[in-house]
Parts: sequence; C-alpha cells; structure tokens
Amino acid sequence: MKFLSLITVLLVGVALVYGTLGMPRWGDPNSPAATHVSPYYLEHSMHDTATPNVVTSVLADYRGYDTLGETSVIFTAGMSCILLLRKRRKHKEEDHV
Amino acid sequence: MFDYIISYYNYWMYAGLMMIGFYGMMAKRNLIKKIIGMNVFQSSIIFFYISSSVKRGGVTVPIIKHVAGAHGSHGVDVMQYANPLPHVLMLTAIVVMVATLGVALAVAILIYRRYHTLEEDEIILCMRKG
Amino acid sequence: MPGHAPIIVVVIPLISSFLCPLIGKLNRQWAYFWAVFSLSLSALAAMRTLWTVITAGTIHYRLGGWLPPFGIEYVVDHLNGMMLVLVTMIALMVAIYSRRSVEKEIADRTVYFYTVFLLQATGFLGIVITGDLFNLYVFLEIASLAGYALIAVGEDGAPVATFRYIVMGTIGACFYLLGVGYIYIVTGSLNMADVHKLLPSLYHSRVVLTAVAFLLSGLAVKMALFPVHVWLPDAYTRAPSSASALIAPLMTKISLYVMVRVLFSVFVPRLSFELLPIGRIMVWAGVVAILAGAVMALAQKDFKRMLCYIVVAEVGYVVGGVGLANQTAIKGAILHILNDAVMTVGLFSVAGIVVYKTGRHRLVDFKGLFAKMPFTMSAFVVGALSIIGVPPTCGFFSKWYLLQGAIIAGQWAFVVALLVSSLVSVIIFFRVIEIGFGFHGLQDEETEHEANAPMSMDEAPLSMLVPTLTIATAILLIGLYNQRIISGLIAFAVPRL
Repeated sequence: MKFLSLITVLLVGVALVYGTLGMPRWGDPNSPAATHVSPYYLEHSMHDTATPNVVTSVLADYRGYDTLGETSVIFTAGMSCILLLRKRRKHKEEDHV
Repeated sequence: MFDYIISYYNYWMYAGLMMIGFYGMMAKRNLIKKIIGMNVFQSSIIFFYISSSVKRGGVTVPIIKHVAGAHGSHGVDVMQYANPLPHVLMLTAIVVMVATLGVALAVAILIYRRYHTLEEDEIILCMRKG
Repeated sequence: MPGHAPIIVVVIPLISSFLCPLIGKLNRQWAYFWAVFSLSLSALAAMRTLWTVITAGTIHYRLGGWLPPFGIEYVVDHLNGMMLVLVTMIALMVAIYSRRSVEKEIADRTVYFYTVFLLQATGFLGIVITGDLFNLYVFLEIASLAGYALIAVGEDGAPVATFRYIVMGTIGACFYLLGVGYIYIVTGSLNMADVHKLLPSLYHSRVVLTAVAFLLSGLAVKMALFPVHVWLPDAYTRAPSSASALIAPLMTKISLYVMVRVLFSVFVPRLSFELLPIGRIMVWAGVVAILAGAVMALAQKDFKRMLCYIVVAEVGYVVGGVGLANQTAIKGAILHILNDAVMTVGLFSVAGIVVYKTGRHRLVDFKGLFAKMPFTMSAFVVGALSIIGVPPTCGFFSKWYLLQGAIIAGQWAFVVALLVSSLVSVIIFFRVIEIGFGFHGLQDEETEHEANAPMSMDEAPLSMLVPTLTIATAILLIGLYNQRIISGLIAFAVPRL
C-alpha cells in the first residue's frame, strides 16, 4: 500500500514538474496571467467601484458571486457539523442520565 | 542554468509540498495525519496560485495610490501592481478548504465516538468484529 | 421576470436553505414542506429556462452585470438546460419521497437534514449552470460538503465510509483546481468561452497537456471511474435512503456532465481527440469500468451495494461513449447521462422503500415483496428493465446509440463490454425478481418464518409511492420520446467533429 502510494505520488510529482517547465517564468510581467484579464481590474477598479484596493473590488464586486458561494460553503460546513454532531451528544447525555 | 532554476524553483517547491501532502493523505494510517496531509496538499495549491500573481521589478500590493478623483483611474500603471485575481481566488479557496477541514474533523469525531480510536487498522478490526 | 430565470434556479434553493433552520425552529414539520416548496419553484424556473433556450437559443446571464471575462457568467445552452431540469426534478421527487424515510431514519435531525439537502441541490445546480471554471469549483465544494454530511448520518459504519470519501473527494477537487490553475497561468482567463477562444494557439504547450490530465483525473475521482471508484459503494450503501436516492444518481452524472463540458466547451474536440490519445484512453477506461462494475455487481448480496456497482458500470458507458468520438456515440453518451440519472433514482427509491418496510437492504429481504408491494415492485421492474436495456424503456435507446457508435468507431472491445454487461444485468435483476416472487429457495430463518404467514398487501406510504411511480413513468416516457429529446436538445450539444 505504501509502495503503491509512493509510486502514485512520484508520478503526480513528475507530471506537475513537467507541466511547470512550459510555464512563463516566475514573476514575468508579460505572462498571460498578468496581461489578459487582470489589467482591466487595475485600470477600471476606481472608475467602476470607487475602491482603491483592487483585491476588495474584485472579491466583492467583479467576482462577488464567488464570494456568495464561499459564504455558502461556510454555511454548508456549519450546518453539516450541526447535522453530524449536535443531537447525538444529547442522546448520549440522556443515556447517562 | 542558474537563471533557469531561479525562474522555476518556486513552482518546484510547491510541487514538492504537494507530493508530501498527497503522500500523507494516501499512506498514513492515522485519520488526523490524513487530514494534516490534506491541508498541506491544499496549501501547496494556494502557493501555486499566489506565485502566479507575482510580477518582478518594483511591484507592490494591488492598492491604487495617488488618484485624483474617481475618474482619474485610467492613468494607472498596471506594471506597478501585482495581479489581484489569484489573491481573490485564493481567498475563496482558503475558506473552502477550512470548511472541508471542519467537516473532515466532524466526521473524525463521529468515528472516534463509535470506535474510540483514530487508527485506520484498529477501526477496520472493530468493523470486522461488528 | 423571465430574464432572471437562470439565477432564480440556483438562488431559490440557496436562500431557502438559509431560512430552513429558522422555519424549522417554528415547527419541525414545516422544514419538509419548505424544501418541497422551494424545489418546486426552482423546477419551474428551470423549465422556464429550458423553454427560453429552446425558443431563443443560448442564454448568457451576467452576474452583477460585469462583462464576461471579468465577471462571472452563467451560460445555459441545450445541454445544461436539460441538466437543470433533470437535477431540479430529481431533487424535487426525492424531497417529496424523503418525508417518511427521514422521519424513520434520522428523526431527531430532520430540520438540519433538509437544510443540507437544499444546499446539496444548490451545489449541483451551480455546477451545472456556470460558465466560469473557478465558480464551478466553489459549487463543486458546496455539493461535496453537503454530500459528505448527508452520507455520514447514515447507518452504522457510514462515518468511516464518509471519511474515505472526503479524502478521495478532496484529492479530486484539488486536482481539478490545479488543472484550472495551469490553464489560468497560460491563458490568464477563467471564463470557459474565453479559454475556449484562447487555447487553440497553445495546444502544443505542455502546460495545457498537464492541465487536461489533472482536470480529467480529478473528475474521474468525482465520477467514480473504475480504479478510483473505491469510495462509492461503501458511502452510498450506508447513506440514509433519501440521501443516497439524491446523491447516487446526481453526483456521478454531474461529474460526467462537467467532463463533457471540459472536453467540448473548454477544450476543442480537436485537441481532446486528435492531438492527444484521450479518446482511446477513455474507451479503454470505459471498457474496464463496465466489466469490473458488472462483475462486482454480480458478486453482491446487498441490494444497495449491487446498485452502487451498477452505477460504476454506467459511468463506464458514458466515459467510453464520449471517448468513441463520433456523433452517434456522443449522442448516446449524453442521452445516457439523462437516462441513467432517472433509472438510478428509481432503483434507489425502491431500495429506500424496502429499507423503510423491512429495515434492511439485503437481497434476501426482497422475499415475497411482489405480493406485499405490487406497485413498488412494478416500479422496480421498470427500472430493472431499463438498466438491462429492454426496448420501451429509456435504457435501451442510449445503449443502442452507444452500440452503433462503437461499431462505427470499430471499437469491438466496447461492443463486447456493452453486451456482456447487459447479460450480467439480466442475471442480476432476474435473481432479485425471483427472490421477490419467492421462488428462490434461500434459507433464511426470519424470512422463512414470515413467508409462512399469510401474505397481505402492505404497500409503501403514498408520499413514497407516488414519486417512485412518477419516476418509473418518466423512464417509459423518456424512452418513448427519445427521438424528440435527441433532435430537440442533445443534437445541439454534440460538437462538430
């Protein structure tokens, strides 16, 4: 089992490193990630949302729906924990009594 | 050669971290260790995204300074600021990962209550006995 | 507001899940009615959306009004319009169905059960409707987390199965996220349509190659393709019956939908099938999954577990069908996503009724059920015939298209796998039917004792029976109207190859 997982891990690692070799160099200001979509946020953030902090304006405005999803994930986790843990403990206490 | 390594080494660092986490998730027999492996794995992805937002050469955080009124924004020098998008994505992803961690721990608590152990081998033994 | 129908489909279950604990505080019974009410509204909105797509073409809904590559966009075309209606209808049916079984199995936590149930539906709908790669990940996680919780409240041993599912599921989701990251770093975009436009110039980049590998292997874990299916049987067998009726048909089918979406709408079929050997790999993965699923289903003594292995085999049909890479096979594969979801929910609801009545889900527990519950068992027979692939039911038609596609592609191994698994299904289901009629000479003291008692009708409660029979009718109707579904919906989803 350990041997099998070691092989899988090594394969995945080789795939990851193989993929990185084709990537733009680290910190390259002309990489696609830095030139395609993100300049729009930097240029238009003040005009569109009047927020100097661009991370905030993207988080809460341009991609605000992701943030709603994020909040729902927390809600889901909370409800899941209640569903899993809450009542069962009461039962146990009743049992003890 | 040295230049080549400098420009890729941080991608390799996250690949190494990811392998550690992945190995922990698969090979460790203790449930909490598996959860820790899961966290290392997820953190490596965060590092990867964040490192894609870096730009070299006097770049600062993406908070726009010196703006004369709301309409002066078109004069922003994009090369001065780091890429904001990966930061945003990772803020979301961190929260998602914390939520996963919470549910995983809740399930681990359920398992502990039932079998009084968190070692996978012992749990399997308990299940066989019924 | 017809223009806002796409967002309403997702947001109604989301908001009603926020309100569900409050309503449950007022009266615990209301949580059930609240879930049914909001899911029926959502189903109406989904039908409205599908109708708009059919009459006016693809809908692009900009969330917050931001232009597509910068903001998030909902794109509804024929394929996900169909999936939306499928998901909302199945969620609605299972919600109606769940009342008695939830009251019996998890009586003390019904309110939270329905809250998480609604979140589960939200997650599924969000995955299906979105046009943004990262937004898909967020909703995938909502669906997964809700799924873990719903499964873990099941019978003894469910938490252990869930833990295994959490570990595997997280690996799957993280691989998907890594793949998205690799795509982002070479294109700078997360919008599916935008990436689709940018990628053709990058097809020889090894980053894209790695991204394809990570996306597909992550999804393979989520859809339980054969070697990484190990989480599925335990988890779905031990889940509460209404949770398994919701999750078993939908989670795997939605991952398959995402796979189709990634191959055709994010990448171009030319990359997927010509530059890389993905098609061939998928066909062989499909063959192995079908055969392994069928053989393992044959070996099971537990009804729900057997259904789980059938689900594993059905995943193989779709993966292989898409991998065959011709029009007929892809049509069959997409039709099979629809059919298999309906068949699986039908059979799992029958399993739920059996659990409700007998408290167990072994095959032996079916003894004498045809006399006791004729209506439930007729729904079971319809579902079984559909899995086998007998003509008037829908399962036949998708298998027929897949078979034709395999012959066109000259993949004889896939043809053999299809036929073998159909034969195995015949054996499996006739064994169950035999037990159900009581012909089988199984030695089991409890059932022996009951069998001697005079048989009388002991049908399931109406709230369980009506949805189950509706699903059985849907299996027949989809079969009868399959031509119309293919020419009206699926034909638009198949890319030109």
